[in-house]
Amino acid sequence: MLRQLLNPMSVTAVKTGSNDFALEFVRWRRKPRWLPVAKSKVFRVPERKKQTEEERIELMRLHNQYKTQLRSVRQYLREEVIRHQETSTADHIVLTPEQEEAEFQRCLEVNAEWNAKIAGEREVRLAKERDEKVAYVQERLEAGKLREEERRERADERIRFEIEQSKTFVTRANLDEAIEAALANPVDHNFAIDLAGNLYRGRGTQSLNN
Amino acid sequence: MPSYELSLVLRQLPRPELISVIKRTAESIFNKGGIIRKLENLGARPLPHKVSEHGVVHKEGTYFSIFFDTAPTKILDLKEEFGRDIDIIRRNIYKVEESAEFKCTLHDEMLPPAYRKDVQEIIDIAKRKHKPKYNYNSGLDYYPFQK
Repeated sequence: MLRQLLNPMSVTAVKTGSNDFALEFVRWRRKPRWLPVAKSKVFRVPERKKQTEEERIELMRLHNQYKTQLRSVRQYLREEVIRHQETSTADHIVLTPEQEEAEFQRCLEVNAEWNAKIAGEREVRLAKERDEKVAYVQERLEAGKLREEERRERADERIRFEIEQSKTFVTRANLDEAIEAALANPVDHNFAIDLAGNLYRGRGTQSLNN
Repeated sequence: MPSYELSLVLRQLPRPELISVIKRTAESIFNKGGIIRKLENLGARPLPHKVSEHGVVHKEGTYFSIFFDTAPTKILDLKEEFGRDIDIIRRNIYKVEESAEFKCTLHDEMLPPAYRKDVQEIIDIAKRKHKPKYNYNSGLDYYPFQK
């Protein structure tokens, strides 16, 4: 009773009618699984079941029959697959050499057409880029020329100014007169300014009195 | 050649000797290959403080300036030469810079901050840094982004 309760297979075993045939021994109720074989049972050699000669011959006959039948079925299926592969074109396209050559030529034509189209686009693009580059260089050259002209103009302006100034320069010849003139005319750069923006020149406030 | 201005404070001297000092100075500039543009006499005046130079204490001086052009390499020589002259109390050489172009922007600067261009630029920069914010009253009843 306990054995039946503990074994879940027992219910199905009852239904299939093989009651005690598929019995499993519930070992771990008696002894944990991780415990080793008992010392007294270590060297025990289980006795082999005795088979009679008739039983052995009968089992061998059944075995050979089963193996032969299975081998013949397997061989039949293998031959069928090979036969199917040879005759069917379901998974690949079979082409004659002429068809293959024609297909290759078609691919070449498509490729050549594509190349020609891209070459045309490239020509247009390169021509455009070339024109842009030429225009850019031309523009830079003109800008540089203009810059140089402006620089020269400024330098000329400066030189004219200095030539104009050089008329009043003090030289060794007129040094005496220049010193006399400077001593005779003292200058005063000081000035004051009021909120209205009026300038009062001079160090003191003499200009106010004037 | 760059333009320089030589500012001199000369010791109190009678006129002929003053002339000879200025002449000596000018001659040394000429000898170094310089060009004198202008001489300016700023008058005689009491010095702002007592100045002890060449072993003498000075209280009054004649201010004089010379505008000249010369090679930059000669400036140190000129300074050294003027430093040895006992009639010169103070001497200094300044480079004459061309005056930068100046435009008066006082009217713009006196505007209230919100109307000033530079303040508006700063506000623009701040706006650019501002991240867009999710509008809570846009119809969704949940927040669609990760919090």
